[in-house]
Amino acid sequence: MTAALALDSDRMSLPMSDVRAEERALVVAAQRGDAEAFAALVRQHQRRAYAVCRAIVLTHEDAEDAVQEGFLHAFKALDRFLPDQPFGAWLYRIMANASLDLVRRRKVRDADELPDTVPMPFRDPGESDELRRRLNLALTKLTDRQRSVIVLHDLEGFTHGEIGAMLGIPEGTARSDLHHARAALRRLLKDVRSDL
Amino acid sequence: MSDIRLYNSDDDEVVSGLRALYAAPAGEGYWNELEARIMARVADVELGWWTELDRWVRPALAAAAVALVAAGFAMFSAHRAEQEIAAESMLTAPAVPVSTAIRPTLQDDREARIRFLFGR
Repeated sequence: MTAALALDSDRMSLPMSDVRAEERALVVAAQRGDAEAFAALVRQHQRRAYAVCRAIVLTHEDAEDAVQEGFLHAFKALDRFLPDQPFGAWLYRIMANASLDLVRRRKVRDADELPDTVPMPFRDPGESDELRRRLNLALTKLTDRQRSVIVLHDLEGFTHGEIGAMLGIPEGTARSDLHHARAALRRLLKDVRSDL
Repeated sequence: MSDIRLYNSDDDEVVSGLRALYAAPAGEGYWNELEARIMARVADVELGWWTELDRWVRPALAAAAVALVAAGFAMFSAHRAEQEIAAESMLTAPAVPVSTAIRPTLQDDREARIRFLFGR
């Protein structure tokens, strides 16, 4: 078992209050300039951070870039973070902002050459699967925000409120985006289901 | 959590499709490498003079407070020493001739007025 896996399994066996206390201690140490403490925070949050970024950007490579940018922003802003607040919520908002910035920059750069499909992600296990191919295509018919909301909610389990905070939209908007995204996916996938 | 989940089996299929499309890399090596890349970039970060300044704000405020207290104490001591010297000098002052001022009388005033009137 690797050290990181051991760390994760150790953390999972701890009560929530202990996990919070441990995280708070790491944040305080990182604020005092302890690089090892910041590395531990990276280790704990990078998977979830990746999931947030991946829900917003179009490709695995962009998600990787956004995660790195997000952690850099977080490191620079660490002095302003209040250790009694939940670190994850603060970090994921930074990750979402880094991803949204990256999407905006990509749109400006690629204004004349927009792809007509969502680029395939890192390791696409469903390339041969017709439903997944159509799902991939159907996702391009959603707005960026609808796509982000459905992935963050249905795959990552974030609440409407958390999604709203991350994307800078009201909770009600996140809720209605989710409703419309699901309706659009059902409609777009209805034909392929009957064909299969 | 008040969230409404997708509830029919078709939607479950959609969710599993989404899960495959958005799957994060699973290998532990990938995450170790990503962490190393992040930490390498963090190590290169120039925090800027304002961050350095920010780090010195608290020690500087503490030092200023100590300096203020020390200056106040020094001023108080100096004032007290001056008072002691003044009191001591009064008590040990050598006898000097006392000059007395004599207030002019009314008689003198009257004579002055007469001299003034006749002098015109």
